[in-house]
Amino acid sequence: MPAKIDYKKCIGCGRCYDLCPIDVFAWDEDKDMPVVAYEEECWHCGICWMECPKRAIDITYPASFW
Amino acid sequence: MVLEQIADKVFDTDVLIIGGGIAGCTSAAKASEQGLKVLLAEKAKTDRSGSAGQGIDHYGIFPREGVTPLDLVKHWQHSLRVVNGEGRWADPNIMFRYYDNAFWTLEELEKLGIPMRWDDGEFYWMPHRGPGMDPRISLKLGLRVHWQNIKPLLAKAMRKKSVHTLERTMIVDLLTNKGRVVGATAVDTRTGEFIVIKAKAVVIATGLFARCYDPETPHFWKYKFRYHWCPATISGDGWAIAYRAGAELASMDITGWGFRIRDDLNISFGNFPINDGVPSRPLDWTGEEVSYGTWQSASGYNKLHQDARTPIYHSLEHLPDDFHKRMEVAFADERMVSFKIAENRGFNPRTHWYELMLNKPHNFVNVAGVYADEDLKATLPGLYAVGDCVAGLHSCGEAAFTGFFTGKSLPAFISSAAEPVVDKAQVESQKQAALAPLNIKDGTEPMELESAIRYICDRYVSQFKSEGKLREGLRRLDSLRRVFLPKLMAKNPHYLMRCLEVRNIMDLTELHIQACLQRRETRGAHIRLDFPQQDRTWDNMLTYQRLESGRPILEMREPPDLKPEYARGGK
Repeated sequence: MPAKIDYKKCIGCGRCYDLCPIDVFAWDEDKDMPVVAYEEECWHCGICWMECPKRAIDITYPASFW
Repeated sequence: MVLEQIADKVFDTDVLIIGGGIAGCTSAAKASEQGLKVLLAEKAKTDRSGSAGQGIDHYGIFPREGVTPLDLVKHWQHSLRVVNGEGRWADPNIMFRYYDNAFWTLEELEKLGIPMRWDDGEFYWMPHRGPGMDPRISLKLGLRVHWQNIKPLLAKAMRKKSVHTLERTMIVDLLTNKGRVVGATAVDTRTGEFIVIKAKAVVIATGLFARCYDPETPHFWKYKFRYHWCPATISGDGWAIAYRAGAELASMDITGWGFRIRDDLNISFGNFPINDGVPSRPLDWTGEEVSYGTWQSASGYNKLHQDARTPIYHSLEHLPDDFHKRMEVAFADERMVSFKIAENRGFNPRTHWYELMLNKPHNFVNVAGVYADEDLKATLPGLYAVGDCVAGLHSCGEAAFTGFFTGKSLPAFISSAAEPVVDKAQVESQKQAALAPLNIKDGTEPMELESAIRYICDRYVSQFKSEGKLREGLRRLDSLRRVFLPKLMAKNPHYLMRCLEVRNIMDLTELHIQACLQRRETRGAHIRLDFPQQDRTWDNMLTYQRLESGRPILEMREPPDLKPEYARGGK
């Protein structure tokens, strides 16, 4: 699983949705929160992880990295 | 019918800049500073897009004391010959201008508020060496920089200079009229709106092309975008739209041969000891040293493989603690996520060995690209190319220089350029082609087609080429084009962006294979099994491809040689 949002920490500021270079995130209008919508396109660059003000995003690497 | 009825939005500008990386932002800022109306279209968000999105740890090439720009041009040509064999390979006049203006570019960056100095307030110069060269004879200096935030800073600086940015906007095609560029069409990749931009001049700044090959360190299963460079950048959008509009591309037969590291920490090979003047020390699995360069060529690697000496590793454990501390700073400056990968895997960069893989072509980071003269003008009037797009240029230093330089020279062109007149029929046909995938149900997903293209390149082109394989590759590519391109489906505007990318990748792949077929010789890293010798009639000759009234033209000719006034030295 690449980028993963911890909704207990997420404040819905939208930085990840705004900055992701691949547009992996979409915006859930009902919850007013970001969602990982195109997981398979994540290139694990870590920009969302770096930029999240609440450290609500974790990145884990696929098995082929091992 | 007026344009507003065909398009959801219409913009009118002096200059349209396509791509908001370092080259795009610097040309936009410079052009706007001189009073031009500038619109910049960016596929992602300028603050974190492009090859520098995660940051940069070293920048530029500067002449050492006593070294002239001419020395650096010769040095650069030498580095190209190390990989590609004998020949000129690219226009040396652009490189001369770049080296001659290295310090001007540095000042311009500082004026934009980009920090160029190290913690102690001084410039941090480091020796730089070319592939296979002894660090002691290095002529050039690089600058170590803390540029984790280079992109947010550039984006801010550009907006302050009132550049209008359209983000999440992907260019569909260029608009032309009477042989000149008059703008472009685009789609908003979140709303699906169709956009027309009228412009007197267009600057292509979309970066490299690589997505017809698998990533440097391929990851299997579903993560097909795990490239070293930002995958949004390397779909070759700028190259493909320039070609379709009639501009010329150069050297599409020559691929790049960068690093391939099995133990990929997402950090560039440039941060390895090599750039800090520390000799690199590849080892075989028993710990015995492998001479530099051996493992990098296909034949060298195969020999090591047959002698049971593979895998090959890089070990940094012999280096002092101070070096590792510098490496860690580089990780933070360029790719913070490296720490995360190391932590995830329990990989200690200080003591673990990095496994290196056989070099294979996997991108066009070498001499391919949009052909531009030393004024960065492409062959189509009104069209400019900057940064990694330009044939022969590939790095952040060149990106900043070409950006500022083009921005500076645009007012002269704009002042005499006629008002752009857009052909509505052309807009209409581009719109239909671009939006078609939104209406297709039960069709082909863009990644399915992209994977098929990459498989063709891997199987029929790649490192060992021959006529039979290349022709089979072309035949299969053609059937993909006929059968699957019309069936491409986009569930939403996000996937429409991917469909448009695949169309660009497919066009460039065809050019790549055609150019490889044309070069009937083995030279440097271009290996033709059916023509194993270097053909001297090909010395200095490059492939150039363009469309003329819809017909593809493949031409062989020499790139320009260094002008006599440059051959005398420089500033």
